[in-house]
Amino acid sequence: MGGQTGMKEKEIANPIRRVDAIAKCTGKQKYLADYHFPGMIYARMVRSTIARGKIIDIHVPSLPDGYYFISYKDIPPEGKNELWMIQKDWKAFAEHEVRYVGETIGLLCGPDRNMLAALREKVVIDYQETEAAISIEEGLACKGGAFVGENNIFCDMTTNSGEDVTKVFARADRVFEETYRTGFQEHVHLEPNGAAVIKENGRFVVYASAQCPFYIRKSICGLLALKPEDIIVRQTSTGGAFGGKEHFPDVLCGPLLVACNKIGKPIQLAFDRSEDMAFSVKRHPSKTTIRTALDKQGNIMGMDIDILYNVGGYLSCSFVVLQRGVFHATGCYAIPSTRIRGRGVATNTFPSDAFRGFGAPQTLFAIERHMCHLATFLNMEPLELKKKYLIKQGDRTNTNGKIFEEVKLPEMIRQITDASDYYRKVKEYKPGCLKGIGLSVYNHGGAFTGNGEQVLIKAHVKLHKYSDGTVEILIGSTEMGQGFQSACRKIVSQILDISIDKTIYENPDTSRVCDSGPTAASRSTMIVGKLVQDAAEQMRDRYAQEDDFEVETVYKHPEGFPWDQEKFQGDAYIAYGWGAAVVEVEVDPLTFEVDTKGIWVSHDVGHPLDELVIHGQVNGGVMQSLGYASMELLENKKGYFKQDSLSDYVIPTSMDFPPMESFLVDNPYPFGPFGAKGMGELVFNGADSAYVEAVSKAINRKICEIPIPPETIMELMEHGN
Amino acid sequence: MVSTFIPRTLQEALAIRRETEAHPFAGGTDLMVAYYRGVGVTPVFPWPVMLISGLEELKGIQKDTQGNVIIGALEISAHIAENPLVPWHVRQAAGRMGAISLRNQATIGGNIGNASPKGDLPATLILLDAMVELQRVGAKRLMKVDDFILAAKKTQLAPDELITKVIIPEPQKEFTYVWYRKIGTRRANAISKLSLSAAITLSEEGLIEDFRASSGAAGPKVERSREVEKLLIGRDIHDIEKLLPSFLDAYDTVICPHAMPEFRRLSTRKMLQYFLLQCVKRPQSQIII
Amino acid sequence: METKIDFTLNGKKVSVTSDPMRRLVDVLRDDFSLEGTKEGCGEGECGACSVIKDGLLVTSCLVPIGAVQDSEVLTIEGLSETERGKCLSEAFADGGAVQCGFCIPGMMMAADYLLMGNPHPSETDIRLGISGNLCRCTGYDLIVESIKLASERGQGLW
Repeated sequence: MGGQTGMKEKEIANPIRRVDAIAKCTGKQKYLADYHFPGMIYARMVRSTIARGKIIDIHVPSLPDGYYFISYKDIPPEGKNELWMIQKDWKAFAEHEVRYVGETIGLLCGPDRNMLAALREKVVIDYQETEAAISIEEGLACKGGAFVGENNIFCDMTTNSGEDVTKVFARADRVFEETYRTGFQEHVHLEPNGAAVIKENGRFVVYASAQCPFYIRKSICGLLALKPEDIIVRQTSTGGAFGGKEHFPDVLCGPLLVACNKIGKPIQLAFDRSEDMAFSVKRHPSKTTIRTALDKQGNIMGMDIDILYNVGGYLSCSFVVLQRGVFHATGCYAIPSTRIRGRGVATNTFPSDAFRGFGAPQTLFAIERHMCHLATFLNMEPLELKKKYLIKQGDRTNTNGKIFEEVKLPEMIRQITDASDYYRKVKEYKPGCLKGIGLSVYNHGGAFTGNGEQVLIKAHVKLHKYSDGTVEILIGSTEMGQGFQSACRKIVSQILDISIDKTIYENPDTSRVCDSGPTAASRSTMIVGKLVQDAAEQMRDRYAQEDDFEVETVYKHPEGFPWDQEKFQGDAYIAYGWGAAVVEVEVDPLTFEVDTKGIWVSHDVGHPLDELVIHGQVNGGVMQSLGYASMELLENKKGYFKQDSLSDYVIPTSMDFPPMESFLVDNPYPFGPFGAKGMGELVFNGADSAYVEAVSKAINRKICEIPIPPETIMELMEHGN
Repeated sequence: MVSTFIPRTLQEALAIRRETEAHPFAGGTDLMVAYYRGVGVTPVFPWPVMLISGLEELKGIQKDTQGNVIIGALEISAHIAENPLVPWHVRQAAGRMGAISLRNQATIGGNIGNASPKGDLPATLILLDAMVELQRVGAKRLMKVDDFILAAKKTQLAPDELITKVIIPEPQKEFTYVWYRKIGTRRANAISKLSLSAAITLSEEGLIEDFRASSGAAGPKVERSREVEKLLIGRDIHDIEKLLPSFLDAYDTVICPHAMPEFRRLSTRKMLQYFLLQCVKRPQSQIII
Repeated sequence: METKIDFTLNGKKVSVTSDPMRRLVDVLRDDFSLEGTKEGCGEGECGACSVIKDGLLVTSCLVPIGAVQDSEVLTIEGLSETERGKCLSEAFADGGAVQCGFCIPGMMMAADYLLMGNPHPSETDIRLGISGNLCRCTGYDLIVESIKLASERGQGLW
């Protein structure tokens, strides 16, 4: 890396106009619901209306010509009724057992959507309803009887670091223990879920608003006893996803595949918002208990952490979500001795799944609250205590791994405490004065855990140069708003020194592109972007001489980062994104509403690939995090989500929070493109804790649970300690 | 197949209403949501529907010679919010209904006729003793909004009647101080969790000549209690500290005991207390915030 | 119960024969293939289906076509043909307002409506002007900046 690359790095950060911006501004950009195929019919899902029980009978009204009811009975005998996410437990269609409200029972298909709506209202299902378990506690207690294993535990994992925690606690002078809870959260991607399946030249082609086209074909091919490569998946421009379209499209595409196979016509299934709210995957609710062993001087000797996630009726990718929650449970702190246990609990709720942060937000919230309350317990200012334990380069992680990079949190904290005048305000705003300011630190391990990239994903990237000089990027990564298509084209254009208009990156078609892995885990820039950079560099010398050729690169895990997936020991992540946030609030004494006065955030994403894109991602992630803490109440009553419309489930509008002040620090990551690391999820992981700390100080009450809408703040003020 | 009518005049609309009991469909912001059936699907109503948003006779905002403000039932809340003839409380509520597009579609007649407990306008109309004019073929009658709305989604509208006007009488004396707060689920585009409208008229010496308060989203219908108001009328504002405890306790009983009663009672208490204590100070501005 | 409805769509006189209760958003998308208007919620909450009808910003998912007789309707496709629309698109594109884009047609309509009434809005005015348009990707800041940029660049357009 010399002077020339240095100049290129500076240039790459300069914003360009996103390649898809004008199409989106003029209404020309097509999304799934805008695709029409000759002879296309529509599907409407028929779902379980009970949380648990058996289907006794399904009464379908008499169907006019051209209308069909598709169920598990239409899966051909050689096929299997399973969606292969991590396990093959989630069924495409419920057969006799239902595990949650909203479980797919069938698809009503036909040419007229008005007729389908009328028919659907007439479907009557007889159930034998049994007792359902809804909360984590009810799941653990096996209310109604265990329906997963013997004790309703989908997964149970433990990791240790440092000295044996039992011995440490035996020596402790005092133990500080608290429990923290977070609730469901709905993605509310503005474009609801949707997919279509057609047949083209004898092959099934799936169109889907989705993050992972290669996941879809692997998940659903078994329904017709096909191989993944027998099915073509084409991603349509996705109107937001945030994890809600990582595995969940399988739930639409599986039944659609069966239906298309049976009926022989193109079929589209587009959820309306009410279906998306009530019957799609959510963020896992959590209950985390942290016990901290303290010595006589008040030093932290060790932490024993117990994490419970409400998985719902099927596993989906909860194993991996819980795993990440476990690895982030000590946040940005170096704790001498740790034991962290995570369990995924089976309940009769709609399965929870990926959502920006992917398990880390829940435990990061817990550790941040814990450190703030521990500070009060030790008569320290929270930031004082946090700074004392901030993890540094070379420190050991909670899986006995290492932090390899420089951790720039001290500089980031300085940036935002200066900008917000934090130190003056934290002194001036006496607890309970209704003004408060809070600071949080957070991180996010980049890409798949451990050697998942090497062992599970094995990302491939291909570039094709055509004789007209254009270069096509042939990868399975998807654009869902985060700007990845623009970023990759920028990388190629920069390295080959060609105009960005000569680069091509279309929405992936699995029959044309390489499997570069899922668009998830904040891995796209870091892993796939780097492979794109490598491929472009390989192409550079040949570009002028050769007319038409391809370059392919394959992921190779850097040496020196050992990981034991059985024991969860070693380097869970090679590098992390880091963040720090300050939020200032004022609480209305009459109505208990919170007015946020200021938001200041700083992030380390290695090196920016486009400052404007990063600015937008920061704003979006921070706003989702603030919504998660302040207003996004989502309760599940007897299996039904109580807030199941956009008027009841409230996400922030343009008036709810003030403009944010956003900083970056430069910390180039040697294995990332132009030094960049992942950032898509990092930006979600901390504003919630800063907000809660600010409110907690403003009202002088402990807050251990989110969200905290005004009525909760009232309760805390009237009855809290 | 249920019919949809599009009358061109009020007389035609009343005639259709008499014959078919067709439901009036004004802005549609309640009905289209309540009967939503999916993407690309036309809503289906269990009764005939009459699209009346084009009836110009039911629009307009005027003041008559007695000082009453007359608002046509089909006036959209966006116009109501910006018209200076409209009393302050009603403009506040109208300006906070939903979001801009909703205010461009939702009508005052629809908001009253729907009688949702969380509706924004009724609480302010009831505060001001507003009336609705109801017309049927060949006849009209007037009724207080407070009597017209019976309970959640229930009104006294006869099957052959339409709401045609809202009439807001001028108070005997201009209010000295006014208060309006809507607590929504968020800062914009929000459904009301609670609202409090209040007004007080004070003589020079501090005699409370008039006091009114109404609570929205605090029960099946707007809560306003003349008995509780009478606890303050005729008293001296300077005695308010002594009067507050029993007054606030009495007002507590006005709030319905179901659905977050503690939050609604406590918030209402604090707002009332704040309002009244500010009034004692005799601030310059009529609007207490 | 089909009725003939005549109205002006993006400046052109058009006609549709339909059940008068069919939603305007469906008529636009299905009958006129104007799919820039999006359905994000069907309950008037998200603003993605916003159009301008008789000079007022409305959510087309709540408007029955029967109420559109003799009206003038402007959709994102119509706005994009105007100088105002081009100014807004360029500003949104340069200002980083666009991420997934699904809310953007509605935001464009709301921005045009705002600037028609207030060509030099403050930050607060802009935030109020788009407060009925939900966005989940951007956190709004860059959309607000882009509208400010459009108002600065578009002197005389509004």
